[in-house]
Amino acid sequence: MRKIILAYLHELKCCTSDIGVMVFLLLVPLGYPLLYSYIYSHQVVREIPVAVVDHSQSNMSHAFTRNTDATPDVAVAYSCIDIPSARQLMEKDKVKGIIYIPQNFDSTIKNGEQAHVSIFCSMASFFYYKAILVACTEVSLSLNSHIQATQLARATTEEIKITTSPLPNEAIGLSNPTAGFANFIIPAILILVLQQVQLLGIGMRMGTEYEKNGGQYPSLGINRLLGRGAAYLTILLPVATYALCVVPHIFGLPQLADGTTLALFALPYLLACIFLAMTLGCIVHSRESAMLLFVFTSVPLLFLSGISWPGSSIPLFWKVFSYIFPSTPAINGFIAINNMGATLADVSFEYCVLWVQTAIYFAASIIIRK
Amino acid sequence: MLRGLRRVVRRELRIIFSHRIYLFCTTAAPLLCFILFATLMDEGLPTGLPVAMVDADNTPLSQRITRRLDAMQQIDIVKQCADIGEATRAMRREDIYALYYIPRGTARRLIEGERPILSYYLNYSYLVAGSLTYRDMYITSLLANAAVGEATLTAQGATELQATNFVQPVVIETNALGNPWLSYAVYLNNTLFPGVVSLLIFILTAYSVTQEIKYRTGAKWLQAAGNNILVAVAGKLLPQTLLFSLTAIFYNIFLYKYLHYPLNTPLSDMIAASLLLIVASQSLGLFLASALPSPRWAMSIASLWGVVSFSISGFSFPIEGMSGSIEAATNLFPLRHYFMIYSNKALLGYPTAYSWVHYAALLTFCLLPLPLMKRLKYALKNYRYIE
Repeated sequence: MRKIILAYLHELKCCTSDIGVMVFLLLVPLGYPLLYSYIYSHQVVREIPVAVVDHSQSNMSHAFTRNTDATPDVAVAYSCIDIPSARQLMEKDKVKGIIYIPQNFDSTIKNGEQAHVSIFCSMASFFYYKAILVACTEVSLSLNSHIQATQLARATTEEIKITTSPLPNEAIGLSNPTAGFANFIIPAILILVLQQVQLLGIGMRMGTEYEKNGGQYPSLGINRLLGRGAAYLTILLPVATYALCVVPHIFGLPQLADGTTLALFALPYLLACIFLAMTLGCIVHSRESAMLLFVFTSVPLLFLSGISWPGSSIPLFWKVFSYIFPSTPAINGFIAINNMGATLADVSFEYCVLWVQTAIYFAASIIIRK
Repeated sequence: MLRGLRRVVRRELRIIFSHRIYLFCTTAAPLLCFILFATLMDEGLPTGLPVAMVDADNTPLSQRITRRLDAMQQIDIVKQCADIGEATRAMRREDIYALYYIPRGTARRLIEGERPILSYYLNYSYLVAGSLTYRDMYITSLLANAAVGEATLTAQGATELQATNFVQPVVIETNALGNPWLSYAVYLNNTLFPGVVSLLIFILTAYSVTQEIKYRTGAKWLQAAGNNILVAVAGKLLPQTLLFSLTAIFYNIFLYKYLHYPLNTPLSDMIAASLLLIVASQSLGLFLASALPSPRWAMSIASLWGVVSFSISGFSFPIEGMSGSIEAATNLFPLRHYFMIYSNKALLGYPTAYSWVHYAALLTFCLLPLPLMKRLKYALKNYRYIE
């Protein structure tokens, strides 16, 4: 026990007196979430500029243009005489899409036939496509019911609705009702940052030791390993509390987590990360190489977690591979707990994986030092 | 001068081949990422996303809707739930991304003219999965609505065509320019690949320059270059430029010739843009190493810059949706300019003239370290390494 406490105090002193290590264990996890939350603080893209090419120039086509402009997602920034001139605006990046209303738009509708509106979107971002498509679809649906109403002149509003839209539908967004980008990406980043700063901070600590010890790791027994682990945990507990509780609160992100559940879930995650970092530290041969080895893994790890590219579509090999890292179960578990108010029983799979990882990496960090 | 350059290049090659980390950063790590991203997103667009069906009505109508939903490409009904509670629990356990609810009495109320509502619940915590399931569920609902409307009208004596025209007088036709099959892989990989390379360049450049300060070999390095800092820097970075260029040429051939991603400009244009990105990224790394000649700070800022590049270049979330000051700051990231050149040329096929600002910006990055060369020279001779 005495050995553990001595190792604990020694490591705590080493870490806190090493600015490089503290940058990763303290400064990065404090600042990084703020930066990301600030970048995405608007959550959604509004008023995407489009050009309208209206060859119909009828009341109906004007109504279509006006209503599209009135949607929150799209703004009609230009009105062009033909497609080439609209395309020029797109090439100059003045607009992200073109809405083309053909000459026969009005007459086909009046003849009781289908009229077609064409939209052309820049695929530089999916957000442009989605916004323009959704806005135009909504406008066409409301225009449709308006047209139908004029065709059924004598019916009441309710009768028209029953004929034209007998089976309406509603979409309900759970856990992120506005489909905001920050609500989606920040919880995953908060979790991932905690793992990455440990790989970097602890890796840097071990690289320094390797260098100072003449190209060799000092041999550590179980007691000293435990002491060190406890020292890292001491530093990380307040950091994790800040990242997982304070940051979502500041930026008004979803926060349905039950405190005890979250604490119980975060504990094995931090432990798994600490021992993973102490295991992987054995490939860090100099103070600086931790950064060369670990920083770039953040992007693949985010994708492997299934937050962006859905987990159900990740090939089996990568799925298995992704569970080498605590970030995968932790991101999925944290989102369920934080965004949907899941209990520990709901995330039992992720929870168990984290404890298994803790056990494996603890054993591994002992074995590599033998 | 040329002799000095040769001497520094030879010295640098020795360093590169005696430290595995250099080949790891220039070749192994990027290749690993390319293979990972390409095979991970092999499908292009995710299909068969698991969803649940809550059919409380259980009539021929609701069964028809269920079949139609299950036939949608992006969706796979993996669960039939008795009630919403069971389905939302499955959603909390993350077994499903969405649930579709047909309330009890839907068919009966439809006949009675009561306009029953079809509802679907989406988990937007997984934005991509949520949006894709939304699209399929929305389309299925519209089709069900139209089918009922048309059936009523044909029963009243209208022809099928008349009924279709009446139910949907205005139709929207979409043309997704540059990526007509809406592939997420195309959308992401075109910027993820160069992003990984650019990130590794930032860090490796800062590392290789500041190592000379750490091991106090700066004087020797300068000496090999005939005490000319420009020769010293050029000789040090050129071998790395070459290695990264090979990686960049590889990913361009991989993306456009092997995976056949849309390319509306000659391949040489994208290779040229990639090479420009490499030199711009090296210059920014050198700039950081000269401004902050300490391994810790130069490499930390380089890491930060590289990682933030992915978010701020606007390929995942458009910069128009970011806070105003961030929108201006995007110009400080080489990846942003590369992304604009890529989307203007490879994706949309616009003439080069429309991207001149971004070429100019990348070239400006290359000039950035020049004013700091004196400072670097001084640091190499005099600075002490601090941990």
